[in-house]
Amino acid sequence: MDNIIEFENVTKRYNNANTDAVENMNLHIKKGEICMLVGPSGCGKTTTMKMINKLIKPNSGNILIDGKNIENIDSIELRLSIGYIIQDIGLFPHMTIAENIATVPVELGWEKGKIDARVDELLELMELDPKIYRTKKPRELSGGQKQRVGVARALAANPPIMLMDEPFGALDPITRGKLQDEFLKIQRKIKKTIVFVTHDIDEAIKMGDKIVVLKDGKILQMGTPSQILSNPIDNFVSELIGGNSSIKMMNLIKCESIMQKVYTMDINLTFEQAKKSFLESQVNQMVVTEDGEKGKYYIDLKDILKNNGKVSETKIEIVDRVLMDATAKDALAEMFSTGKHYIFVEDSSHEIKGIVTINNLLKVVSDGDSGSI
Amino acid sequence: MNLFNFFTSRWETILDLTLEHFIMVITAMVISIALGTAVGIIITMNRKMASIVLNITNVMMTIPSLALFSLLIPILGIGKAPAIVGLVAYTQLPIVRNVYTGITNIDTSIIEAARGMGLTEMKILYKIKIPLAFPAIMTGIRTATVMGIGIGAIAGYIGAGGLGVYIFRGISRTNDNMVLIGAILISIIAILTDKLLEKVQKKYEI
Amino acid sequence: MVTAGLYKNSKKYIKNIVIILILIAIGIILSIYVVENPQDSMVSRLVSYNKISSLLKQHLYIVGISSGLAILTAVPIGILLTRPKFKKWTSRVVGIVNVGQTIPSLAIVALLVGVIGVGAKTAILALWIYSLLPILNNTLIGVGEVDKAIIEAANGVGMKASHVLTKVEIPLAMPMIIAGIRTAITINIASAILAAFVGGGGLGNLIIAGNNISRWQVLILGAALPVLMALIADSVFGMIEQKIKL
Repeated sequence: MDNIIEFENVTKRYNNANTDAVENMNLHIKKGEICMLVGPSGCGKTTTMKMINKLIKPNSGNILIDGKNIENIDSIELRLSIGYIIQDIGLFPHMTIAENIATVPVELGWEKGKIDARVDELLELMELDPKIYRTKKPRELSGGQKQRVGVARALAANPPIMLMDEPFGALDPITRGKLQDEFLKIQRKIKKTIVFVTHDIDEAIKMGDKIVVLKDGKILQMGTPSQILSNPIDNFVSELIGGNSSIKMMNLIKCESIMQKVYTMDINLTFEQAKKSFLESQVNQMVVTEDGEKGKYYIDLKDILKNNGKVSETKIEIVDRVLMDATAKDALAEMFSTGKHYIFVEDSSHEIKGIVTINNLLKVVSDGDSGSI
Repeated sequence: MNLFNFFTSRWETILDLTLEHFIMVITAMVISIALGTAVGIIITMNRKMASIVLNITNVMMTIPSLALFSLLIPILGIGKAPAIVGLVAYTQLPIVRNVYTGITNIDTSIIEAARGMGLTEMKILYKIKIPLAFPAIMTGIRTATVMGIGIGAIAGYIGAGGLGVYIFRGISRTNDNMVLIGAILISIIAILTDKLLEKVQKKYEI
Repeated sequence: MVTAGLYKNSKKYIKNIVIILILIAIGIILSIYVVENPQDSMVSRLVSYNKISSLLKQHLYIVGISSGLAILTAVPIGILLTRPKFKKWTSRVVGIVNVGQTIPSLAIVALLVGVIGVGAKTAILALWIYSLLPILNNTLIGVGEVDKAIIEAANGVGMKASHVLTKVEIPLAMPMIIAGIRTAITINIASAILAAFVGGGGLGNLIIAGNNISRWQVLILGAALPVLMALIADSVFGMIEQKIKL
């Protein structure tokens, strides 16, 4: 079964409330997917998430995990098998970092050697040197470090599902960005099913495979980040996204998908031959090859015309590049810092694979506006 | 006869009384701590009960100890029994209140994280709530014990023994030495106990 | 909105007054009961309206004087210790007064008896020592917790230092100070029973007498009256605290 978490007509109304916190919710979350629950305060996103590990009981409807109705699963057993992280993390102040992380494995009765190994493994994953951090206490850690320990603690028993409630909300923007990147990197390795609550649409777009926009306890729109960005279903969602959705789109698109093929030119060509080559191909930059070997230098049309020079004399060393899976936004940022209207794209073995020009980027923005991604 | 001579000539009796005082107070404190901690934990689960119980223990403290002891005599006879029951009743408030506040003051996100991770309520209680509330509980025990030493002295009036005996007897016989010995010894014991428990308390501060 | 607040407060106010009246009523009813229905002749000889009221007066006298002295010494000392010149004495002074608190009240009374003999003055002195700490502590905290920004503003506006103290710091510290006085007086009322042991009079005499002749009526009276008084004092001060907070 592809859907690991399913909500069927789930409704929740708190005592003394006039309206439903969550109304008739139907939701399917696939295995290995990061599902972002986004929306303003009070929209029901945290309530929805907390019903998954039975911290909150629905008034009606069914919630199934792996096809089984969670009502028939023991709460404690369920929670031990789901990772849980909250905004204030809730690290136990009287326990060491190692003891904090080991909490669920200890409950599950793992043997000591296995627990110790797992703690070290997780600390390394979080880029915290186990030798140093094992015995520290939470109060000795910075906000970002505490949050990393929180993630490690949730991952300790290797649960297939993780619930994360605004885990990076209390951090400053720089640390938050870093942790988001690190988390995405880890997720690529571990492929957990994640339900992530946030009120920050940018975080949702950056991290989510699927975005669920909630308002007043109901699902307004559900889709991939680019679907939401290019086709907001109503004013509310548009406003939620904020202006500049096309700029936001740049954050999603990888250089790989917008780069153009790079042309080569032999180093021994004369001025006239080079000029002709450029006219024919209609590009402004080409990579220089020497005896078939390419990649170290390039030639810019502007330079050839200026100096009437030979290729071998006007060639420029290729210094600035971006990786193929860098985003369009990264490419733009590089262009700002180099002052040029183009940037070369390389793969992980440093081979030049293409080039992104300012025109490619403008096309992304304009395509985004017309919704034709 | 001066104080020092008085002391040395009666040191055996004085030692007996001191021991008696110790035993009485320690017995009462052990019971009081066990009871108070249990009650304190129970009321953290129910706010209404909490305010009722805290109010009752509050009022119990306003009742003059002497009166309480005297009232227990018709039921329990004179001697150690009413003294210990009275002592337990008196020392409840600091303990119950501190156990309650200690536990309820724990950051709710810690408890929520523990619950969400799959710890049972029992496990949360003794792995997290009690260890984190321990400094507050220790303070309560310290206050209660020092109070207990003093009230134990008053119990001397109703035949419970202990150093209070010297004080009351000394007053009625106008024997200044007796009064002073009793008072000085109790003061020393109270101060030493306070300092000792303060050290223990400091050791467990997070 | 303001009127709603005032209404709520007057509800609380009335509730407090009602409680105080009930407590007084209980005391009166109890006294009437014992005097009119004595267990036996021993009790009737011992207890009479005159006796009760004279013991009550003695009790209040002892409580009043010792509390008054405590307020008059602890508050000024507390304020003095918050002045920059004297801040360094704070921990030493608090340490000394703390010791006074650790020593059981009976022991303090007894020590004084051994030194200055018996009588009301001994009781008053002992109670004075015992009431110092709560008032001193609360004065220190009350003045210490006044928002530094307000003091800075007052200084900045050009207020004289003495005015800053009397017009800003002390009024703002009042709720805390009153709370300390409330604690001290409530404890004082119960502790004043010990005065009876040193010939100081007061309601403790009823407890002693009740014990001596084993008559529970007298005992209960001697125990209940101070308790009722303590609860009344607690309520009265509670009301004063509320009024000041506004």
